[in-house]
Amino acid sequence: MLKLIQIEFMKLRRRKLVWLMLLASLVMPFFAFLYYGYFGKTGIDPAAFYKWSAFGYTMLIILPFVLGMLCTILMYNENRYDMLKQLWIVPVSRLGYFFSKFFVVLIYSVCFMLITAIASVLFSVLPGYVVFEWGSIFFLMKKCLEIALFTAFAMLPVLAVTASQKGYILSVCITLIYAFAGFFMTPINMYLHPLSCVSVIVSRSGDIPGLTLPQAVHAPVAILGIFLWSVAATLFAMVTLNRRK
Amino acid sequence: MRILLWAECQKLRRSNILLLTAFATVFIAVFVFIGGKTTVHGVDFSESSGWYMATALTWATMFILPAMIALLGSYMICREEQDDTIKHLRLVPINETKLTAAKMIVTFVLSVLIYLLLFIITLAIEAVLHFSALSIETVLDFLKMYLIQGAGVFFAVSPIIAIVPYMKKSYWLALLLAEIYSFSALFMSMSNALKHFYPITAVFGVSGYYETTVQELACCIIALSLCGCLAAVLLVGLNHSQKGKKHEEKII
Repeated sequence: MLKLIQIEFMKLRRRKLVWLMLLASLVMPFFAFLYYGYFGKTGIDPAAFYKWSAFGYTMLIILPFVLGMLCTILMYNENRYDMLKQLWIVPVSRLGYFFSKFFVVLIYSVCFMLITAIASVLFSVLPGYVVFEWGSIFFLMKKCLEIALFTAFAMLPVLAVTASQKGYILSVCITLIYAFAGFFMTPINMYLHPLSCVSVIVSRSGDIPGLTLPQAVHAPVAILGIFLWSVAATLFAMVTLNRRK
Repeated sequence: MRILLWAECQKLRRSNILLLTAFATVFIAVFVFIGGKTTVHGVDFSESSGWYMATALTWATMFILPAMIALLGSYMICREEQDDTIKHLRLVPINETKLTAAKMIVTFVLSVLIYLLLFIITLAIEAVLHFSALSIETVLDFLKMYLIQGAGVFFAVSPIIAIVPYMKKSYWLALLLAEIYSFSALFMSMSNALKHFYPITAVFGVSGYYETTVQELACCIIALSLCGCLAAVLLVGLNHSQKGKKHEEKII
């Protein structure tokens, strides 16, 4: 498995675009910086700033969308150059192939959120909006790692759908709809969609000010929701990959 | 030109991208409706007349439809290179500038049609919710708003569609750009100065969603016109560079 992951990264080395997509991690910290700059506030509660820069739209929309795009790129390239046939001849197991892609998505997700965390600290501390405290930075890092980890698992259904497709159009549309469905589903039922389950897990302790959830928070139910979706996605991917020649 | 437009429509008929775009439009309409019915702080937003049609228009423009329109346009432009049909088209021969113009016209029409579809869905739901509160003027006002929004969003995303052929295989980045570009409108709309210059929010100014003065309206129209001009310059430049390459090949 480690060798497969290493090979995946070697393939990605040639694709500058994938690394360019990491720039999207700076979007919300920058907008949070502009937002607080616009109101001219200083001495803000760090958690309030980080809610804007990392726990809000980054978690609900930007990260899922970027990861969905990554899933599509990873799978589409194999299909495009007809690499799958050669991989099956080697042989590479279907499960190994699927999870090697998943681990790339997971590592990418962690890198993305770490950049968001660093950018959030820089955009909040340097202009003097937030007082530098190790405690708040550890809090931000912990939450960012949680978001990265659970969002990567929540994206498994998209990875499974992209694995079943030869083209990119459906995968991209599914990514778009999936990311926004999570955003819109949160006020309706937080435990139905894996991405809204991530927001439940992240806000389970109630330590993010202003992040109000419409229902009672049950982190184990949210983890169970993500787990069930992940299992279903893996099974779906196995079936579709086995069917494909 | 008429034949080129007809050919583009024929090509699209075989592709499932139109179906997916329609699905995305229905999706946003349904989710805004469900979101409006959900009472977070004891408020049912869908109770107020006109809320649904206005909100669906905002959310669709800020989150989903610009990316879908950019994907549609870039897909149409890139598919000739990707499917390797451009060689056959050059053999016909076909004027590539006209071909690109035909693709852009079709994208423009589809952009307006997507918003028309959204209007029909939202109007139907609004009629079910508050039929008595709907007047002909309100419906016509919203129809005008939706149609202008469709046209305006096309102009706003046209530079992104035009950039895609330059990036060759990197149309992914174009989609990501379109998404961030439309999403950023949420923040641009907070600033009174920026919202009339930022193309996505300028669309709201032109369509009449924002109340604007004559100067502000002029700023919005200029911003969108600049986007259209930039796209035209990029696409004409692309065709010239392709002709240049062919000329070099002949010399070799």
